[in-house]
Amino acid sequence: MWKVISGVSMGWSLGANDSANIFGTGVATGTVQYRTAILLTAAFVLAGSLLEGPKCMTTLNELSRLAPMSAFCCTLATAVTMITLTYLAIPASASQGIIGAIVGASIIWGTPDFSKLLWIVLCWVLTPVGGIIVAYCLHRLLDYTLARTIRGMTYRNMLYSVGIITTGSYAAYALGCNNVANVTGVYVGAGVLSSGTASLIGGLSIASGVLTYSEKVMMTVGKNIAPLDPFSALVCTLATGCTLHIFTQVGVPVSSSQAVVGAVVGVGFVGGMRTVSGRMLAKIGIGWVLTPVSTGLLSFILIRGIT
Amino acid sequence: MKLREFVTTRIESIDGDKSVYEAIEKMVDRRIRSLVVVFPGDETDNGVITARDIVFKALAKGVDLKKTKASDIASRPLFCVDKNTELDGMARSMQEADVARIFVCDGKKIIGVVSLMDLMTATLVRRARGNDLS
Amino acid sequence: MIFLRKALSQGKRERQVVEDMKRHIRLLCTACSSFKSALEQNNRRLMHDVIDLEREGDAVRREIISKVHDGAFLPYIRPDLCKFVEVVDGVFDILEDTALFYLDVKLPEEMQDECVRVALLNQRICEMLLLTFEAMLKGEDLSEKTLAVRIYEKKVDDIKFDMFRDIRKTPINNFWEGKILADFLSGLTTISDIIEDASDYVQIINVAMK
Repeated sequence: MWKVISGVSMGWSLGANDSANIFGTGVATGTVQYRTAILLTAAFVLAGSLLEGPKCMTTLNELSRLAPMSAFCCTLATAVTMITLTYLAIPASASQGIIGAIVGASIIWGTPDFSKLLWIVLCWVLTPVGGIIVAYCLHRLLDYTLARTIRGMTYRNMLYSVGIITTGSYAAYALGCNNVANVTGVYVGAGVLSSGTASLIGGLSIASGVLTYSEKVMMTVGKNIAPLDPFSALVCTLATGCTLHIFTQVGVPVSSSQAVVGAVVGVGFVGGMRTVSGRMLAKIGIGWVLTPVSTGLLSFILIRGIT
Repeated sequence: MKLREFVTTRIESIDGDKSVYEAIEKMVDRRIRSLVVVFPGDETDNGVITARDIVFKALAKGVDLKKTKASDIASRPLFCVDKNTELDGMARSMQEADVARIFVCDGKKIIGVVSLMDLMTATLVRRARGNDLS
Repeated sequence: MIFLRKALSQGKRERQVVEDMKRHIRLLCTACSSFKSALEQNNRRLMHDVIDLEREGDAVRREIISKVHDGAFLPYIRPDLCKFVEVVDGVFDILEDTALFYLDVKLPEEMQDECVRVALLNQRICEMLLLTFEAMLKGEDLSEKTLAVRIYEKKVDDIKFDMFRDIRKTPINNFWEGKILADFLSGLTTISDIIEDASDYVQIINVAMK
C-alpha cells in the first residue's frame, strides 16, 4: 500500500498546478474569491474522479500491465519529471508524463502495446485542436443566443457571475474525470487498488493539492492568460471542461493546460485575433516530446535500479 | 417655437444698397450661408441672399462684385413658416418652394431660420428621442 | 458563503445601483432645467436651487460608489461604472460653479438669448444622456442616441464660437467683472462637452458588458 505514496504526491502536484486552468482567470480578476474557487474545484474534482474516473484507467492498463513496484516507479518518475520541468518553466503534462513512464517500464518487461500508444498520441494532438473547435463553436452559438435572450446590464452581470462559477465547477468535474487516471490508474492494473479505491485516493490527492498549494500558480497563470472579457472567459472554461469530458468518454487522459490553450485560441479566432504564436506551438511541441521521453527514461532507470 | 433648439435665431442682415462684395465679406466672416436683405423703405418685404445666389448670379456671370448691389441678386419674397410649424411641415414647405433654408416667423417678424442640415439633425434627434421633440 | 449570498440576492444590489444611477442623471436633468428657467426668468432663487441639487447629486454619487465597492457588479466593470458616475458628478460641479458665477455677474442683455439657448441645449443633451443610459440597460443599440448627443454638443460649440467673438465688444468695468463673465460663459459652454464624455462612457460600459 505504501507504493501509492508516489501517486498521491503526483496527484497533489497535479491539483496544485491544474486548478489554475479552471479558475485562474476568475480568481486573478477578482470575479471569484480564491476560497470559493478552491472549495468548488476540490469538491467537483473529487466528484468527477468518483463518478467517471475509472473510464480512463482502462486505457492506461491496456497500454501495459505493470507490477506494483513498476507502478510505483512510474508515478515516482512522473512526479519528479513534472516538478523538474515546472521548475524549468517548461510546460509539462501529467497525462503525457505517465504514458511515457508506462512505456518506459513496459519496454523493460517487453509488454508495450504500441497500437494503443498511437491512439493516445493522436488524442494529445487533438486536445488543443478540440479546444479550439469547441471554444469557437460555443462562442458563436452562445453569443447568438444570448444577444437575443439576455439583454440589459444587470441580467448579463448575473449571467456572468453565475456562469463563471458553474462552468468552473463543470471544468473541475471534467478534470477529475479525466486526470485521476494519471494519478492512480497504474495501481489498478498492477492489482494494488480497485478502480473505486483508486478513484477515491486519486481524487482526494488532487483535491488536497488544490486546497493547499494552488494560490500562487492560480494568480500567476490567471494574470498571464490573455485578458479576456467575462463572456470569453466563461466560454473558455466551458470549452475546456467539454474537451476534457469528451476525451474522458473516449477513455484517454489528456492535458488540461493544452485544452485551455486551445480554448483561448478558439475564442481569439472569433474576434479575428491571431493568438497562435510560433513560440507557443514550439513550447507545446517540446512538451509533447520532452515530457514522455523524460519520464520514460527515468522510470526505465528506476525500475532497472530497483530490480 | 417648435424645434427651438434647431432654429438659428441669430439672423444676419444686410441693406439692399450694400454691394455683393460686402455681403460675401459678412457671410465669410460670420460663417453663414445666407443674409436677409433689407430693402430701404420697405422693411416688411425682405429678400434673402444666399451663397448659391452669389455663386450662380454673380461669380459665374463675372459681374463686378463691388458695383453690383445685394438687392440686384437677392431672392424675393422670403419663404416663411409659422413658429409652431412641425418638422414635417417645414420640410414640405421647403420642398414646395425649392429652397435650402426657410425662415421662421412670428407674424411678420423673422425670429429664426432653418436649413436643410437643421432639419436632418432634428430628424436624427427625434428618432433618438422616440419621436418626441417636446 | 459570498457566492451563495450573491446568487440568492438575484442581482438586487445591481438593480439598486442602476436605479441610483438613473436617479443621479435625472437629478442632473432637473438641475439643467432649473438653470435654464432661472436664466430665462432672471430668477436668482431658482439659481440657488441648482446649487442645492448639486449637493443632492453628491450624496447620490457617494451612495452609488459605496454600493459598487460593496460588491455590486463584477470587478472588471466597476471602474467603468465609477468613472461614469464621477463624470456625471463633474457636470454637476460645473453647473454649480456656473450658477454661482451667474449670481455674481450682470449678464449683458445682448447675450441673454444666446445663453438661454445654450442652457436649453444643455438640458436637451442631459435628457439624451438619460435616454442613452436607459437604452444601454435594456441592451438596445445606442448609435442613434450617441449621435444625437454629439449633434447637441456641436450646436453648443457653434454658438460658443459666436459668443466668445461677440463678448469682446461688451464693455467691462474691471478685470474681475470680465473674468467672472468669461468664467460664466466658459462653464455654460463646457457642460455639453462633459455630458458628451459621459455618453462615451455609457458606450464603453455597453461594449464591456457584451
